[in-house]
Amino acid sequence: MEFLFEQLKNWKFYLIGAYPSGPLTGLTLNIVLAILSITIGLFFGIIFGLGRTSCRRYIRYPCSLYIDVIRSTPLLMIIFWFYFFLPVIGARLSLFWCAVISLSVYAAAYQAEIVRAGFLAVPMGQMEAALSTGMSRLQALKYVILPQAFKMMLPSFVSFFNSLFKSTSTVYIIGIVDLTRTGVIISQLKPNRILAAYVCMALGFWIVCYALSYAAQILEKKLGILDYESYKPEICRQDLVLIPLPKTVKRLLVSQK
Amino acid sequence: MKILNLRYEFDWGIPFREPYLGWLITGVELTLLIAAVTTVASLLIGTALAIMRTSRFRFLNIPGRLYAEIVRNIPGLFWLLFFYFVFPEFLPFGLGQKLHEYSKYSVIAGILGLTIDNSVYVSDIVRTGLLGVPRGHIEAAVSTGLNRFQQIRHIILPEAFRSILPPLGTRMIHNFKNSSLCMAITAPELTWATQQVESITFRGLEVTILATVFYIGLSLVMASLIIRLERHLKIDITSITRMRA
Repeated sequence: MEFLFEQLKNWKFYLIGAYPSGPLTGLTLNIVLAILSITIGLFFGIIFGLGRTSCRRYIRYPCSLYIDVIRSTPLLMIIFWFYFFLPVIGARLSLFWCAVISLSVYAAAYQAEIVRAGFLAVPMGQMEAALSTGMSRLQALKYVILPQAFKMMLPSFVSFFNSLFKSTSTVYIIGIVDLTRTGVIISQLKPNRILAAYVCMALGFWIVCYALSYAAQILEKKLGILDYESYKPEICRQDLVLIPLPKTVKRLLVSQK
Repeated sequence: MKILNLRYEFDWGIPFREPYLGWLITGVELTLLIAAVTTVASLLIGTALAIMRTSRFRFLNIPGRLYAEIVRNIPGLFWLLFFYFVFPEFLPFGLGQKLHEYSKYSVIAGILGLTIDNSVYVSDIVRTGLLGVPRGHIEAAVSTGLNRFQQIRHIILPEAFRSILPPLGTRMIHNFKNSSLCMAITAPELTWATQQVESITFRGLEVTILATVFYIGLSLVMASLIIRLERHLKIDITSITRMRA
């Protein structure tokens, strides 16, 4: 037991590494990676998720293809794709940004499914009612559809953030010094303290994940669970298409005449 | 490909040249083996765990919940590293030393770690299925004179598994994809083989394309098999009522 307390004195190394004077490592790096990639992933997830509900095939098929391909590829493979083959196409990025990009690509596909299910769960009549009160399509989306949809998506987002946070430990394999690598380094420096180092590493992940899953449970009780696996991928909704592009183009053409 | 500024010439001979082809084939075999063993093992452990967690007895309920809370909040990679590096250190009678020398221990550690990680998610899914079985069905089973074990075996589990097949299938596909994490502990599965080819020849693009296609293809095949199984197991209620009439 005293081994463990001895390790816990190193808390600063597990949490931030040598941050102010050196690179950011440890648990904070995992959290930063997870937050960055879920934010970027949310942006693209909304685009792909809405695209998948579109009735226009030239929008729906590419979005479905992206989501299905990423969801059936291991995260490790995606990371290797960006790690080895960004240099091939001439992009030079640091390990950190490489990890952020691959995690965002991964997160976008999963979040797109949540977004799609959330938007499809908003009843059809809501849009019609909003339009009949004289709102424009964009206003209806902003004030009526989006708030309801996000309320339904929130528990799923929190539990996905939890799983993404755990997935950030995968970047250990390409050599980023995250919490996993920190623990492994310490266990290699002091082989007789191997158990204590691993317990500290697990404790770091456990505390953050437990807090997140507790939050997810509370949100699920309050807002209900959205079962995004059960929504059929074929469904399209005319009223949810965010960009009425052909209409705008048509209007432009008419005004030019 | 001038637009992309692609500084790479494809050589599709590499994946089919000798040492590499052998690595890739053992890699595929090992990936399938790890996925199959962990799927079966985690299904068994997960079901037992779910029964424990829904049980009324405290000495079953509390250990089950404790196990779930501990394992669920720690990444799967940790369990792989734990079983590979730490676990043999604490075995008695020099057994650990023998395990370290045993060349296939990485595969065993991988299977152990993935099973521990996956069984909790399986138990979560099975638990929702068990809780979803209508109270009346269990009461009906009791009134026909089945004992507790028979109720679970003949009534509760079959009904629960029918309803949870889609999420369970998704979880198993996820588990299959997670088998790629075993490369962190140098188990020579497919991802490890591709990285080995990359590190020796510096031409990893071809093998990585092949491996990605393999993963995507097998995931899609598994997904379609699960949909088929779901249709096959579905009880057609209308036909039963017609029979009764």
